[in-house]
Amino acid sequence: MKCLRCLRESADVVAKAPDGSGAWEVYYCTECNYSWRNNETEEISVLEKRDAWGQLDKVDFNQMRVNVYRAMKKPV
Amino acid sequence: MGFKDLRSFLSKLEEEGQLVRYSEPIALSPDWSDITRALPRMGQYGPAILADNLEGYKGKKIVAGVHASLANCALMFGHSKHTSLQDQINSLGKRWVAAGDASSAKLVWVENPPCQEVIIEGDDVNLYELLPLHRLNPSDGGFYLPKTCVVTKDMYSPDDIDSENVGTYRCQIHGPNTIGINISNMHDAGEHIAQAEALGVPMPIAICLGNDPMLDFMASTPLKSDESEYKYAAALGDFTYELTKATLSNLDVPANAEFVIEGEILPFERFPEGPFGEFPGTYSGVGKTCRIHVKRVTHRKDPIYSTIYIGGRSETESDMLLALNTCSLLYNQLRVDFPQVRAVNAMYQHGMTTIVSAKPRSPGHAKTIALRVACTPHGTDYCRNIIMVDAEVDPFNLTEVMWALSTRVRCEEDVFFIPSTPGLPLIPADVRPPLGRKLVIDATTPIPPDEFRPSKVVEPYQKSTDWRDTIAKIQQQLQK
Ligand SMILES: [Zn+2]
Repeated sequence: MKCLRCLRESADVVAKAPDGSGAWEVYYCTECNYSWRNNETEEISVLEKRDAWGQLDKVDFNQMRVNVYRAMKKPV
Repeated sequence: MGFKDLRSFLSKLEEEGQLVRYSEPIALSPDWSDITRALPRMGQYGPAILADNLEGYKGKKIVAGVHASLANCALMFGHSKHTSLQDQINSLGKRWVAAGDASSAKLVWVENPPCQEVIIEGDDVNLYELLPLHRLNPSDGGFYLPKTCVVTKDMYSPDDIDSENVGTYRCQIHGPNTIGINISNMHDAGEHIAQAEALGVPMPIAICLGNDPMLDFMASTPLKSDESEYKYAAALGDFTYELTKATLSNLDVPANAEFVIEGEILPFERFPEGPFGEFPGTYSGVGKTCRIHVKRVTHRKDPIYSTIYIGGRSETESDMLLALNTCSLLYNQLRVDFPQVRAVNAMYQHGMTTIVSAKPRSPGHAKTIALRVACTPHGTDYCRNIIMVDAEVDPFNLTEVMWALSTRVRCEEDVFFIPSTPGLPLIPADVRPPLGRKLVIDATTPIPPDEFRPSKVVEPYQKSTDWRDTIAKIQQQLQK
Protein backbone atom coordinates (compact mmCIF):
# COMPACT_ATOMS: atom_id res chain seq x y z
CA MET A 1 0.00 0.00 0.00
CA LYS A 2 0.97 3.67 -0.35
CA CYS A 3 3.00 5.29 2.44
CA LEU A 4 1.32 8.41 3.81
CA ARG A 5 4.62 10.22 4.07
CA CYS A 6 6.83 9.34 1.08
CA LEU A 7 3.91 8.22 -1.14
CA ARG A 8 5.84 5.18 -2.38
CA GLU A 9 4.08 1.82 -2.64
CA SER A 10 6.22 0.45 0.16
CA ALA A 11 3.97 0.31 3.23
CA ASP A 12 2.24 -2.68 4.73
CA VAL A 13 0.34 -3.82 7.80
CA VAL A 14 2.84 -4.94 10.44
CA ALA A 15 0.75 -5.26 13.61
CA LYS A 16 -2.75 -5.46 15.02
CA ALA A 17 -3.99 -4.60 18.52
CA PRO A 18 -2.60 -7.46 20.65
CA ASP A 19 -5.65 -7.59 22.95
CA GLY A 20 -7.78 -8.83 20.05
CA SER A 21 -10.03 -5.78 20.24
CA GLY A 22 -9.38 -4.78 16.64
CA ALA A 23 -8.83 -1.24 17.93
CA TRP A 24 -6.10 -0.49 15.37
CA GLU A 25 -3.59 -1.72 12.84
CA VAL A 26 -0.05 -0.40 12.41
CA TYR A 27 1.38 0.36 8.97
CA TYR A 28 5.10 0.68 8.28
CA CYS A 29 6.97 1.91 5.22
CA THR A 30 10.21 0.08 4.40
CA GLU A 31 11.51 3.05 2.35
CA CYS A 32 11.16 6.04 4.69
CA ASN A 33 10.54 4.05 7.90
CA TYR A 34 7.34 5.91 8.77
CA SER A 35 4.88 4.12 11.09
CA TRP A 36 1.27 5.04 11.76
CA ARG A 37 -2.00 3.59 13.05
CA ASN A 38 -5.25 3.68 11.17
CA ASN A 39 -7.05 5.23 14.16
CA GLU A 40 -4.71 8.17 14.77
CA THR A 41 -6.03 11.71 14.33
CA GLU A 42 -6.81 12.77 10.76
CA GLU A 43 -3.78 15.09 10.72
CA ILE A 44 -1.74 11.89 10.82
CA SER A 45 -3.84 9.19 9.16
CA VAL A 46 -5.50 11.08 6.28
CA LEU A 47 -3.17 12.14 3.47
CA GLU A 48 -5.06 15.32 2.54
CA LYS A 49 -4.93 16.61 6.11
CA ARG A 50 -1.26 15.98 6.75
CA ASP A 51 1.14 18.88 7.35
CA ALA A 52 3.27 19.39 4.21
CA TRP A 53 6.25 20.09 6.51
CA GLY A 54 6.87 16.41 7.29
CA GLN A 55 6.13 14.93 3.84
CA LEU A 56 9.03 13.18 2.08
CA ASP A 57 7.61 12.60 -1.39
CA LYS A 58 9.75 15.39 -2.87
CA VAL A 59 12.87 14.57 -0.87
CA ASP A 60 15.87 12.87 -2.47
CA PHE A 61 16.90 10.21 0.06
CA ASN A 62 20.43 10.21 -1.41
CA GLN A 63 20.85 13.82 -0.29
CA MET A 64 19.90 13.15 3.34
CA ARG A 65 22.34 13.85 6.15
CA VAL A 66 24.16 10.63 7.11
CA ASN A 67 25.56 9.95 10.59
CA VAL A 68 29.32 9.41 10.28
CA TYR A 69 31.50 8.08 13.08
CA ARG A 70 35.22 8.63 13.63
CA ALA A 71 36.97 6.73 16.41
CA MET A 72 39.09 8.74 18.86
CA LYS A 73 40.81 5.62 20.21
CA LYS A 74 43.21 3.31 18.41
CA PRO A 75 42.90 -0.50 18.53
CA VAL A 76 44.72 -1.90 21.57
CA MET B 1 18.75 2.89 50.67
CA GLY B 2 18.32 2.82 46.90
CA PHE B 3 15.69 1.13 44.75
CA LYS B 4 16.90 -1.96 42.93
CA ASP B 5 14.13 -1.87 40.35
CA LEU B 6 11.25 0.14 38.96
CA ARG B 7 8.71 -1.93 40.91
CA SER B 8 10.15 -1.22 44.33
CA PHE B 9 10.26 2.48 43.50
CA LEU B 10 6.64 2.45 42.30
CA SER B 11 5.68 0.85 45.65
CA LYS B 12 7.47 3.69 47.43
CA LEU B 13 5.69 6.27 45.29
CA GLU B 14 2.36 4.63 46.06
CA GLU B 15 3.08 4.59 49.78
CA GLU B 16 3.80 8.32 49.62
CA GLY B 17 0.69 9.19 47.60
CA GLN B 18 2.80 9.85 44.51
CA LEU B 19 1.41 7.13 42.23
CA VAL B 20 -1.97 7.23 40.51
CA ARG B 21 -3.33 3.93 39.21
CA TYR B 22 -5.68 4.33 36.26
CA SER B 23 -7.69 1.48 34.74
CA GLU B 24 -10.29 3.37 32.71
CA PRO B 25 -9.83 3.12 28.93
CA ILE B 26 -7.27 5.57 27.50
CA ALA B 27 -6.86 6.38 23.81
CA LEU B 28 -3.24 6.05 22.69
CA SER B 29 -3.27 9.20 20.66
CA PRO B 30 -3.68 11.91 21.76
CA ASP B 31 -4.85 10.99 25.30
CA TRP B 32 -1.82 9.08 26.54
CA SER B 33 0.54 11.71 25.11
CA ASP B 34 -1.50 14.44 26.76
CA ILE B 35 -1.40 12.62 30.10
CA THR B 36 2.38 12.37 29.94
CA ARG B 37 2.55 16.09 29.19
CA ALA B 38 0.23 16.92 32.08
CA LEU B 39 2.18 15.14 34.84
CA PRO B 40 5.25 17.42 35.01
CA ARG B 41 2.97 20.47 35.01
CA MET B 42 1.33 19.42 38.26
CA GLY B 43 3.86 21.16 40.49
CA GLN B 44 6.19 19.92 43.19
CA TYR B 45 4.02 16.89 44.02
CA GLY B 46 3.11 15.77 40.50
CA PRO B 47 2.51 11.99 40.60
CA ALA B 48 3.50 9.10 38.35
CA ILE B 49 0.66 7.27 36.59
CA LEU B 50 0.39 3.50 36.12
CA ALA B 51 -2.23 2.52 33.54
CA ASP B 52 -3.31 -0.87 32.20
CA ASN B 53 -6.13 -0.16 29.79
CA LEU B 54 -4.56 1.52 26.81
CA GLU B 55 -6.53 1.19 23.60
CA GLY B 56 -5.58 -2.09 21.91
CA TYR B 57 -3.12 -2.96 24.68
CA LYS B 58 -5.62 -3.83 27.44
CA GLY B 59 -3.83 -5.62 30.26
CA LYS B 60 -0.37 -4.28 29.43
CA LYS B 61 1.09 -1.98 32.06
CA ILE B 62 2.54 1.41 31.20
CA VAL B 63 3.97 4.03 33.55
CA ALA B 64 4.89 7.69 33.08
CA GLY B 65 5.92 10.47 35.43
CA VAL B 66 8.41 8.47 37.50
CA HIS B 67 10.78 11.48 37.39
CA ALA B 68 8.13 14.11 36.66
CA SER B 69 8.23 16.05 39.90
CA LEU B 70 10.56 17.32 42.58
CA ALA B 71 8.80 15.08 45.11
CA ASN B 72 9.42 11.93 43.03
CA CYS B 73 13.07 12.88 42.52
CA ALA B 74 13.46 13.50 46.27
CA LEU B 75 12.08 10.02 47.00
CA MET B 76 14.49 8.50 44.47
CA PHE B 77 17.37 10.00 46.46
CA GLY B 78 15.95 8.73 49.74
CA HIS B 79 14.88 12.20 50.93
CA SER B 80 11.52 13.29 52.28
CA LYS B 81 9.20 14.17 49.41
CA HIS B 82 9.05 17.74 50.75
CA THR B 83 12.79 18.35 50.14
CA SER B 84 13.38 21.57 48.23
CA LEU B 85 15.15 21.75 44.89
CA GLN B 86 18.10 23.60 46.40
CA ASP B 87 18.52 21.01 49.16
CA GLN B 88 18.32 18.16 46.66
CA ILE B 89 21.00 19.75 44.48
CA ASN B 90 23.25 20.48 47.46
CA SER B 91 22.91 16.91 48.69
CA LEU B 92 23.54 15.51 45.21
CA GLY B 93 26.66 17.68 44.86
CA LYS B 94 27.99 16.23 48.13
CA ARG B 95 27.23 12.68 47.00
CA TRP B 96 29.19 13.26 43.78
CA VAL B 97 32.18 14.45 45.77
CA ALA B 98 31.89 11.52 48.21
CA ALA B 99 31.56 9.02 45.34
CA GLY B 100 34.92 10.15 43.93
CA ASP B 101 35.81 7.86 41.05
CA ALA B 102 33.10 5.39 42.19
CA SER B 103 35.73 2.66 42.55
CA SER B 104 34.20 1.50 45.83
CA ALA B 105 30.73 1.06 44.29
CA LYS B 106 29.28 -2.41 44.73
CA LEU B 107 28.27 -4.38 41.61
CA VAL B 108 27.13 -8.01 41.63
CA TRP B 109 26.22 -10.32 38.74
CA VAL B 110 23.21 -12.56 39.34
CA GLU B 111 22.11 -15.81 37.66
CA ASN B 112 18.56 -16.37 36.37
CA PRO B 113 17.70 -12.66 36.63
CA PRO B 114 14.13 -11.33 36.61
CA CYS B 115 14.77 -9.48 33.31
CA GLN B 116 15.15 -12.86 31.55
CA GLU B 117 12.04 -14.60 32.94
CA VAL B 118 10.43 -14.53 29.49
CA ILE B 119 12.35 -14.81 26.21
CA ILE B 120 10.99 -13.93 22.76
CA GLU B 121 13.17 -14.32 19.71
CA GLY B 122 13.56 -14.09 15.98
CA ASP B 123 10.37 -13.68 13.98
CA ASP B 124 8.25 -13.88 17.15
CA VAL B 125 9.44 -10.38 18.04
CA ASN B 126 6.88 -7.75 17.09
CA LEU B 127 7.73 -4.59 19.01
CA TYR B 128 4.46 -2.88 18.02
CA GLU B 129 2.48 -5.64 19.74
CA LEU B 130 4.86 -6.33 22.62
CA LEU B 131 5.26 -2.74 23.88
CA PRO B 132 2.48 -0.17 24.29
CA LEU B 133 4.01 2.14 21.72
CA HIS B 134 2.60 5.59 21.09
CA ARG B 135 3.45 8.70 19.09
CA LEU B 136 4.82 11.37 21.41
CA ASN B 137 4.43 14.36 19.09
CA PRO B 138 2.12 14.60 16.05
CA SER B 139 4.87 15.08 13.46
CA ASP B 140 7.21 12.41 14.85
CA GLY B 141 8.27 9.95 12.15
CA GLY B 142 6.84 7.05 14.10
CA PHE B 143 6.85 5.48 17.54
CA TYR B 144 9.90 6.15 19.68
CA LEU B 145 11.21 4.50 22.83
CA PRO B 146 11.58 7.69 24.86
CA LYS B 147 13.06 6.33 28.11
CA THR B 148 15.94 4.04 27.27
CA CYS B 149 19.16 2.84 28.82
CA VAL B 150 21.21 1.80 25.80
CA VAL B 151 24.22 -0.41 26.62
CA THR B 152 27.30 -0.68 24.38
CA LYS B 153 30.88 -1.81 24.95
CA ASP B 154 34.19 -0.29 23.96
CA MET B 155 34.96 -2.66 21.07
CA TYR B 156 38.71 -2.39 21.72
CA SER B 157 38.41 -3.41 25.39
CA PRO B 158 35.19 -5.44 25.59
CA ASP B 159 35.90 -6.80 29.08
CA ASP B 160 36.24 -3.37 30.67
CA ILE B 161 33.19 -2.24 32.63
CA ASP B 162 34.30 1.38 33.09
CA SER B 163 34.23 2.12 29.38
CA GLU B 164 30.95 0.24 28.90
CA ASN B 165 28.35 2.91 28.20
CA VAL B 166 24.77 3.29 29.38
CA GLY B 167 23.13 6.21 27.62
CA THR B 168 19.76 7.57 26.55
CA TYR B 169 19.47 7.75 22.78
CA ARG B 170 16.70 8.34 20.29
CA CYS B 171 15.26 4.94 19.25
CA GLN B 172 12.61 4.80 16.52
CA ILE B 173 10.78 1.54 15.82
CA HIS B 174 11.46 0.60 12.18
CA GLY B 175 9.22 -2.39 11.58
CA PRO B 176 8.45 -5.32 13.89
CA ASN B 177 12.05 -6.16 14.80
CA THR B 178 14.35 -3.34 13.74
CA ILE B 179 15.07 -0.02 15.44
CA GLY B 180 16.65 3.14 14.07
CA ILE B 181 18.99 4.71 16.62
CA ASN B 182 20.36 8.24 16.45
CA ILE B 183 23.69 8.57 18.23
CA SER B 184 25.99 11.55 17.78
CA ASN B 185 29.65 11.07 16.90
CA MET B 186 30.45 13.03 20.10
CA HIS B 187 28.79 10.48 22.38
CA ASP B 188 30.41 7.40 23.92
CA ALA B 189 28.18 5.01 21.98
CA GLY B 190 29.25 6.89 18.80
CA GLU B 191 32.86 6.03 19.62
CA HIS B 192 31.84 2.38 20.01
CA ILE B 193 30.09 2.35 16.61
CA ALA B 194 33.18 3.93 15.03
CA GLN B 195 35.35 1.19 16.54
CA ALA B 196 33.05 -1.59 15.30
CA GLU B 197 33.08 -0.07 11.82
CA ALA B 198 36.88 0.22 11.88
CA LEU B 199 37.01 -3.48 12.79
CA GLY B 200 34.29 -4.32 10.25
CA VAL B 201 32.24 -6.32 12.79
CA PRO B 202 28.64 -6.16 14.08
CA MET B 203 28.29 -4.24 17.34
CA PRO B 204 26.21 -5.85 20.10
CA ILE B 205 23.72 -3.47 21.71
CA ALA B 206 21.03 -3.77 24.39
CA ILE B 207 18.15 -1.40 25.06
CA CYS B 208 16.96 -1.69 28.66
CA LEU B 209 13.47 -0.39 29.45
CA GLY B 210 11.76 0.05 32.81
CA ASN B 211 14.89 0.46 34.89
CA ASP B 212 15.49 1.44 38.49
CA PRO B 213 15.11 5.23 38.72
CA MET B 214 18.79 5.89 39.47
CA LEU B 215 20.02 4.20 36.28
CA ASP B 216 17.60 6.27 34.19
CA PHE B 217 19.01 9.31 35.99
CA MET B 218 22.65 8.32 35.35
CA ALA B 219 21.99 7.42 31.70
CA SER B 220 21.07 11.05 31.07
CA THR B 221 23.99 12.45 33.08
CA PRO B 222 27.02 13.49 31.00
CA LEU B 223 29.67 11.23 32.59
CA LYS B 224 33.16 10.83 31.13
CA SER B 225 33.73 7.88 28.78
CA ASP B 226 35.71 5.91 31.38
CA GLU B 227 33.11 6.40 34.13
CA SER B 228 30.60 3.59 34.64
CA GLU B 229 26.94 4.57 34.89
CA TYR B 230 26.31 1.38 36.88
CA LYS B 231 28.97 2.28 39.42
CA TYR B 232 27.70 5.83 39.84
CA ALA B 233 24.10 4.62 40.13
CA ALA B 234 25.27 2.30 42.94
CA ALA B 235 27.42 4.99 44.60
CA LEU B 236 24.91 7.83 44.42
CA GLY B 237 21.96 5.63 45.30
CA ASP B 238 23.95 3.84 48.04
CA PHE B 239 22.98 0.29 47.06
CA THR B 240 24.50 -2.83 45.51
CA TYR B 241 23.80 -2.81 41.80
CA GLU B 242 22.54 -6.13 40.42
CA LEU B 243 23.71 -6.84 36.87
CA THR B 244 23.53 -9.84 34.60
CA LYS B 245 25.04 -10.79 31.26
CA ALA B 246 22.85 -10.34 28.20
CA THR B 247 21.83 -13.70 26.70
CA LEU B 248 23.49 -13.13 23.30
CA SER B 249 26.54 -10.98 24.07
CA ASN B 250 29.07 -9.90 26.64
CA LEU B 251 27.02 -6.80 27.54
CA ASP B 252 26.15 -6.15 31.18
CA VAL B 253 22.49 -5.26 31.70
CA PRO B 254 20.43 -4.43 34.81
CA ALA B 255 19.24 -7.75 36.25
CA ASN B 256 15.92 -6.20 37.32
CA ALA B 257 15.02 -4.27 34.17
CA GLU B 258 11.47 -4.80 32.93
CA PHE B 259 12.54 -5.35 29.29
CA VAL B 260 15.89 -5.91 27.57
CA ILE B 261 15.99 -5.70 23.77
CA GLU B 262 19.10 -7.45 22.47
CA GLY B 263 20.43 -6.92 18.98
CA GLU B 264 23.30 -5.72 16.85
CA ILE B 265 24.25 -2.84 14.58
CA LEU B 266 25.83 -3.86 11.27
CA PRO B 267 28.74 -1.71 10.07
CA PHE B 268 27.93 1.21 7.73
CA GLU B 269 24.20 0.48 7.45
CA ARG B 270 22.20 3.73 7.48
CA PHE B 271 18.47 4.31 7.11
CA PRO B 272 16.18 7.38 7.35
CA GLU B 273 15.21 8.24 10.94
CA GLY B 274 13.14 11.15 12.30
CA PRO B 275 11.75 13.64 12.72
CA PHE B 276 11.44 13.65 16.50
CA GLY B 277 10.05 16.43 18.72
CA GLU B 278 13.17 17.28 20.68
CA PHE B 279 13.69 18.85 24.10
CA PRO B 280 14.11 22.48 22.97
CA GLY B 281 10.54 22.28 21.62
CA THR B 282 11.37 21.86 17.93
CA TYR B 283 11.51 18.84 15.67
CA SER B 284 14.73 17.33 14.43
CA GLY B 285 14.98 16.67 10.71
CA VAL B 286 15.19 13.31 8.95
CA GLY B 287 18.66 11.83 8.52
CA LYS B 288 20.24 8.44 7.94
CA THR B 289 21.22 6.66 11.14
CA CYS B 290 22.28 3.21 12.29
CA ARG B 291 19.84 0.33 12.55
CA ILE B 292 19.54 -2.23 15.33
CA HIS B 293 18.59 -5.72 14.19
CA VAL B 294 16.69 -7.14 17.15
CA LYS B 295 17.56 -10.77 17.86
CA ARG B 296 15.80 -11.34 21.13
CA VAL B 297 13.64 -9.55 23.70
CA THR B 298 13.73 -10.71 27.30
CA HIS B 299 11.37 -9.41 29.95
CA ARG B 300 9.98 -9.87 33.43
CA LYS B 301 6.65 -11.57 34.00
CA ASP B 302 3.81 -9.03 33.78
CA PRO B 303 6.25 -6.33 32.60
CA ILE B 304 5.79 -2.60 33.05
CA TYR B 305 6.69 -0.35 30.11
CA SER B 306 8.16 2.94 31.32
CA THR B 307 7.86 6.09 29.26
CA ILE B 308 8.52 9.82 29.50
CA TYR B 309 7.41 12.89 27.56
CA ILE B 310 9.95 14.84 25.48
CA GLY B 311 9.25 17.60 23.00
CA GLY B 312 7.17 20.36 24.57
CA ARG B 313 9.02 23.62 24.93
CA SER B 314 9.28 23.50 28.72
CA GLU B 315 7.95 21.82 31.84
CA THR B 316 8.44 18.30 30.53
CA GLU B 317 9.50 15.22 32.45
CA SER B 318 12.64 15.14 30.33
CA ASP B 319 13.52 18.66 31.62
CA MET B 320 13.02 17.47 35.20
CA LEU B 321 15.11 14.33 34.70
CA LEU B 322 18.01 16.41 33.34
CA ALA B 323 17.71 19.33 35.75
CA LEU B 324 19.25 17.97 38.93
CA ASN B 325 22.23 16.21 37.36
CA THR B 326 23.09 19.13 35.07
CA CYS B 327 22.97 21.64 37.96
CA SER B 328 25.09 19.57 40.30
CA LEU B 329 27.66 18.48 37.70
CA LEU B 330 28.23 22.07 36.54
CA TYR B 331 28.43 23.22 40.16
CA ASN B 332 31.11 20.65 41.01
CA GLN B 333 33.13 21.40 37.88
CA LEU B 334 33.06 25.17 38.48
CA ARG B 335 33.98 24.79 42.14
CA VAL B 336 37.26 23.08 41.24
CA ASP B 337 38.71 26.39 40.00
CA PHE B 338 36.22 28.83 41.47
CA PRO B 339 35.23 28.09 45.08
CA GLN B 340 33.45 31.47 44.98
CA VAL B 341 30.54 29.79 43.14
CA ARG B 342 27.55 29.34 45.45
CA ALA B 343 24.92 27.69 43.23
CA VAL B 344 24.17 26.89 39.60
CA ASN B 345 20.72 26.85 38.06
CA ALA B 346 20.94 24.94 34.75
CA MET B 347 17.34 23.70 34.84
CA TYR B 348 16.17 25.33 31.65
CA GLN B 349 16.51 23.38 28.38
CA HIS B 350 19.39 21.35 29.78
CA GLY B 351 21.35 24.45 30.78
CA MET B 352 20.92 26.49 27.60
CA THR B 353 20.22 29.34 29.97
CA THR B 354 22.39 28.94 33.06
CA ILE B 355 22.34 31.21 36.09
CA VAL B 356 25.34 31.17 38.42
CA SER B 357 25.50 32.86 41.79
CA ALA B 358 28.99 33.65 43.07
CA LYS B 359 30.94 36.01 45.28
CA PRO B 360 33.40 37.54 42.79
CA ARG B 361 36.94 37.70 44.18
CA SER B 362 37.96 40.87 42.35
CA PRO B 363 36.60 43.46 39.89
CA GLY B 364 35.46 41.73 36.70
CA HIS B 365 35.86 38.28 38.21
CA ALA B 366 32.22 37.29 37.60
CA LYS B 367 32.88 37.54 33.87
CA THR B 368 35.80 35.10 34.22
CA ILE B 369 33.51 32.61 35.94
CA ALA B 370 30.98 33.02 33.13
CA LEU B 371 33.69 32.18 30.60
CA ARG B 372 34.53 29.08 32.61
CA VAL B 373 30.87 27.98 32.35
CA ALA B 374 31.22 28.31 28.58
CA CYS B 375 34.32 26.06 28.66
CA THR B 376 32.95 23.17 30.75
CA PRO B 377 32.38 19.98 28.74
CA HIS B 378 28.61 20.45 28.99
CA GLY B 379 28.64 24.24 28.65
CA THR B 380 30.71 24.17 25.46
CA ASP B 381 27.71 23.47 23.29
CA TYR B 382 24.76 23.72 25.70
CA CYS B 383 25.19 26.88 27.80
CA ARG B 384 24.30 29.64 25.34
CA ASN B 385 22.98 32.27 27.78
CA ILE B 386 25.02 32.68 30.96
CA ILE B 387 23.77 34.96 33.71
CA MET B 388 25.94 35.83 36.72
CA VAL B 389 24.34 37.00 39.97
CA ASP B 390 25.70 37.86 43.42
CA ALA B 391 26.13 35.18 46.06
CA GLU B 392 23.19 36.64 47.98
CA VAL B 393 20.87 36.07 45.01
CA ASP B 394 19.21 32.66 44.82
CA PRO B 395 19.59 31.61 41.15
CA PHE B 396 16.61 29.26 41.49
CA ASN B 397 14.36 32.12 42.54
CA LEU B 398 13.64 33.84 39.22
CA THR B 399 12.06 36.79 41.04
CA GLU B 400 15.44 37.49 42.64
CA VAL B 401 17.25 36.94 39.35
CA MET B 402 14.96 39.47 37.68
CA TRP B 403 15.76 41.92 40.49
CA ALA B 404 19.46 41.51 39.81
CA LEU B 405 18.95 42.00 36.06
CA SER B 406 16.75 45.04 36.71
CA THR B 407 19.04 46.81 39.14
CA ARG B 408 22.63 45.68 38.48
CA VAL B 409 23.16 45.36 34.73
CA ARG B 410 24.86 48.14 32.76
CA CYS B 411 24.44 47.06 29.17
CA GLU B 412 27.69 48.70 27.96
CA GLU B 413 29.79 47.01 30.64
CA ASP B 414 28.03 43.83 31.63
CA VAL B 415 26.63 42.32 28.47
CA PHE B 416 28.84 40.70 25.87
CA PHE B 417 28.61 37.92 23.38
CA ILE B 418 30.87 35.51 21.54
CA PRO B 419 29.75 34.70 17.97
CA SER B 420 30.31 31.37 16.19
CA THR B 421 30.97 29.09 19.13
CA PRO B 422 30.01 25.40 19.29
CA GLY B 423 26.23 25.05 19.61
CA LEU B 424 23.40 22.57 19.14
CA PRO B 425 21.69 21.77 15.85
CA LEU B 426 18.28 21.89 17.55
CA ILE B 427 18.07 25.66 18.18
CA PRO B 428 16.18 27.54 15.47
CA ALA B 429 17.89 30.80 16.47
CA ASP B 430 21.23 29.38 15.38
CA VAL B 431 21.04 29.38 11.59
CA ARG B 432 24.41 27.75 10.86
CA PRO B 433 24.35 24.63 13.05
CA PRO B 434 26.32 23.28 14.77
CA LEU B 435 27.65 26.83 15.20
CA GLY B 436 26.04 28.69 18.06
CA ARG B 437 26.83 31.77 20.12
CA LYS B 438 27.28 32.74 23.75
CA LEU B 439 25.62 35.57 25.63
CA VAL B 440 26.95 36.64 29.01
CA ILE B 441 25.03 38.96 31.32
CA ASP B 442 26.92 39.94 34.44
CA ALA B 443 24.29 41.00 36.98
CA THR B 444 26.64 41.03 39.96
CA THR B 445 27.30 44.23 41.89
CA PRO B 446 30.41 45.97 40.49
CA ILE B 447 33.50 46.00 42.73
CA PRO B 448 35.66 49.20 42.75
CA PRO B 449 37.36 50.53 40.71
CA ASP B 450 34.50 49.23 38.56
CA GLU B 451 31.83 51.89 38.90
CA PHE B 452 28.43 51.84 40.50
CA ARG B 453 26.62 54.91 41.84
CA PRO B 454 27.14 55.05 45.60
CA SER B 455 23.93 53.87 47.14
CA LYS B 456 22.68 52.46 50.39
CA VAL B 457 21.29 48.98 50.10
CA VAL B 458 18.30 48.11 52.26
CA GLU B 459 19.36 45.71 54.99
CA PRO B 460 17.94 42.17 54.97
CA TYR B 461 16.08 41.12 58.10
CA GLN B 462 18.37 38.68 59.84
CA LYS B 463 15.81 36.15 61.00
CA SER B 464 13.37 36.44 58.13
CA THR B 465 14.29 33.01 56.73
CA ASP B 466 13.96 31.32 60.13
CA TRP B 467 10.53 32.88 60.58
CA ARG B 468 9.48 31.81 57.10
CA ASP B 469 10.37 28.20 57.94
CA THR B 470 8.63 28.35 61.31
CA ILE B 471 5.44 29.76 59.84
CA ALA B 472 5.53 27.31 56.93
CA LYS B 473 5.74 24.39 59.37
CA ILE B 474 2.69 25.61 61.24
CA GLN B 475 0.85 26.02 57.94
CA GLN B 476 1.81 22.48 56.86
CA GLN B 477 0.20 21.16 60.04
CA LEU B 478 -3.00 23.06 59.17
CA GLN B 479 -3.08 21.51 55.70
CA LYS B 480 -2.73 17.87 56.84
ZN1 LIG C 1 7.40 6.02 3.27
